[in-house]
Amino acid sequence: MTYNPATTPTAELLGTDLSQMSPRRKTWRAFVRNPLGLSSLIVLIFMVLLAIAAPLIVEEPSGFSVAVLEPPSSEHWFGTDHIGQDIFAQIVWGARTSVAVAVGASALAILLGTVVGVAAAYFPRLNTPLGMLIDVMLSLPILPLMILIAALVGPSISTLVVVIAVFSWPEVARVVRSQALPTVTLTYVNASHVIGASNLWVLTRHILPAVTPVVVVSVVLTASKAVLSEAGLSFLGLGDPNSWSWGTVLYNAQRSGVLASAWWTALFPSLAILLFVVAATLCSLAYNDARNPRIRGD
Amino acid sequence: MAFARFALLRLLRGLLTLWFAITVTFFLVRLLPGDPALAVASPTMTEEQRAIMLADFGLDQPLPVQYFTYLGQLLQGNLGISFRQSVPVLDVLLERLPWTLVLTGSSLIVTLIIGVPLAVSAARRRGSHIDRAVQVGGVIGQSLFVPTVGIFLLYVFGLWLGWLPIGGAIDRGVSGLEAYGSMLRHLVLPCLSLVLLQLGSYVLFLRTSLIDALGEEYTTVARSKGVSERTVVWKHALRNALLPTVTLVGLQLGFLVGGAVLTETIFAYPGIGRAIYEAVGQLDFAVLQGAFVLLAATVVLANLLTDLLYGILDPRVRQA
Repeated sequence: MTYNPATTPTAELLGTDLSQMSPRRKTWRAFVRNPLGLSSLIVLIFMVLLAIAAPLIVEEPSGFSVAVLEPPSSEHWFGTDHIGQDIFAQIVWGARTSVAVAVGASALAILLGTVVGVAAAYFPRLNTPLGMLIDVMLSLPILPLMILIAALVGPSISTLVVVIAVFSWPEVARVVRSQALPTVTLTYVNASHVIGASNLWVLTRHILPAVTPVVVVSVVLTASKAVLSEAGLSFLGLGDPNSWSWGTVLYNAQRSGVLASAWWTALFPSLAILLFVVAATLCSLAYNDARNPRIRGD
Repeated sequence: MAFARFALLRLLRGLLTLWFAITVTFFLVRLLPGDPALAVASPTMTEEQRAIMLADFGLDQPLPVQYFTYLGQLLQGNLGISFRQSVPVLDVLLERLPWTLVLTGSSLIVTLIIGVPLAVSAARRRGSHIDRAVQVGGVIGQSLFVPTVGIFLLYVFGLWLGWLPIGGAIDRGVSGLEAYGSMLRHLVLPCLSLVLLQLGSYVLFLRTSLIDALGEEYTTVARSKGVSERTVVWKHALRNALLPTVTLVGLQLGFLVGGAVLTETIFAYPGIGRAIYEAVGQLDFAVLQGAFVLLAATVVLANLLTDLLYGILDPRVRQA
């Protein structure tokens, strides 16, 4: 039986010809049709907007006030902390740090990881040493190492970005390498070599496009891991002292010993972290499903 | 013979990993802008006192000399002197290590005890409500922030219900059986935090490899021989599906140690993680560096053991 896309039920229903659509549009359509994919993307966009627009929403929390440890109310949506600062304002301003670290660290880690992963797959001589380096880095307990370095250099947002990126790239390099390895031996890649294409041409025209999908997934996953790492370091007192972060709010709650009496000091930063990371994870899962023709059913 | 060669190769790889970890940390600590010498010396010291102090810690030597001295000292089990407490770092940490091993080890065992039946019931009834719940729970479980889980458990079971202690590892002045009971009660919440942290990855991974195993020909053969479904799943499929899970244990160890650092901080559990937290507050870099080296060594050793175990369980691996 020959496959005729024009007569598939969905195509008739929508009056569009699926065979005429580019793969990218097909993926996008499948992605937004998945309620999980769409809603997780909306949550992520909302978080980024919150981070950008924070100064327009609330004032940066500072100083002391007499309204100490007040439970959530119409005046203080998320309650107040042990020195009377509004927790809603801390969460909104914390989104700035978390999003900034997530974007910065994942961009850097993706760049490093893609370069190393592609290089390992493309240049046979580099494959073994780079593969070994990736394995070694992945097997080490990274958090204690991040702690050591953040403590040495002194906590700041740029420290956090660099430290998290430097220890997150191996994960990216691993998936990029395993995606690129089979591509390198494909006939069309060999053919380009034969007709005298330069390495740069083959890399940018053939190898990079082949690994782009796993890189896209990695961007989101690395960003969510960066948020977790940043929150973890801030929770240990290694956050940027001049800016708010969700981890810092938790750190203050733990340090001041108000956890027992004021549940809201821990609940809201925790929810913010959970929401961001779950949204990022679901977003990458939905994207993977949307890219898979067998699952999206066209 | 094949196994001896396999074991030797794995041992060499472990040693290489450890050497890499030690070397990278050594040079990072010495070359990064934060100067450990400044942490030792205080600004009120005279130039002379400062020089003596630096000489005491060997910080006045050229870098390569310091590096080889450090390696030599490590081989003798010397991790340096704590900048703040003026006692050997190894002594500080060895006192803490058993607690961390108990915590991470017990959490691994409990994770498997809970995770295996969950994965089996999800894989046996694909697409069922249980399967859906396992998949959603697995994704959320992988997204959890450790302190959140810890604080939640501490709040509910420690403060609200008051069933379990909220911190420490053992009560003062208990002995004998009572001491074990006390240790156990202190262990429950931190252990449970780590279980919740890693359960998702294990269940999802085991579910996938079980589904693969159930599609293999040997399960079809077992079924057609009239073996009960229960035996097919638990005896035939699970055995093979558990094999790759051994690898996952190795991959997750570094992550588990990171979780332990955060969990111990929340529950004031006296392991290495808590020591790291305290060292951060005191800027005691010798302890921080030593803790990382010791944890890396532990992870490398545990990885070596899981690799060897895999080699014993699966003869095919030895050939590679």
